[in-house]
Amino acid sequence: MLVLRRKIGQVIRINDDIRIIIQDVQNEHIVRIGIEAPKDVPVHRLEIYNLIQQENRSAGGADAIEWLKGATHDSSAGDTEEHH
Amino acid sequence: MTAVQAIQKNITDSEPDHGGAFHFPQGMAGFSDAREYGFIYQGHGDIACIQSTDHPEAAFLLTPWDEQRLGPPPTLPAEQLQCIRASSQEQLMWMLVLNPFADPKWVTANLRAPVAINLEMRMGLQYIRQEQDLEIRYHWQPQPG
Repeated sequence: MLVLRRKIGQVIRINDDIRIIIQDVQNEHIVRIGIEAPKDVPVHRLEIYNLIQQENRSAGGADAIEWLKGATHDSSAGDTEEHH
Repeated sequence: MTAVQAIQKNITDSEPDHGGAFHFPQGMAGFSDAREYGFIYQGHGDIACIQSTDHPEAAFLLTPWDEQRLGPPPTLPAEQLQCIRASSQEQLMWMLVLNPFADPKWVTANLRAPVAINLEMRMGLQYIRQEQDLEIRYHWQPQPG
């Protein structure tokens, strides 16, 4: 892993099109950073992204298609829960 | 006509050179290389499947956002609107990713990361919401059978 030391206001550049700007350091533990990236580059907090990725992997795949084929033949699959 | 049937009609009526494929510029979380998706509709109510045309392992069940149950859909940030070439929120069709495998009794819906689709441009993205209280496995409907 590349480790860099940067001061507030300084920038890290990745490729030609991604800029990471150190904006602030709060309480010596929390770093605020700004990220400029192309619109088709998703930027997320790792822990949230990992959660969604895990759920997508659990929900998706060829099994989903097979499930849908099976559900098509079962009329009860259209029932819905009415409360949140 | 259900919302999913409306999508199906839109695809059927499309120009042949579009091929009905939807472009996801960011892919789906965990499947970032899979960016072209076709819709598969089996005639089952409001559930459809999207499957990557070049990474078939990337397949997801989708159902339209239900305002009666969930309230209004999220507001997509301007940058992400631009990402799928939408000029307004009204252009978007919101859908939920269903998981029929997480719970033996329920098909669950991921409220944290719904899918926004721009039907006109045939583009979509999975929008990961920041609100931490949103359920990832919301009980959506009982398992069939």
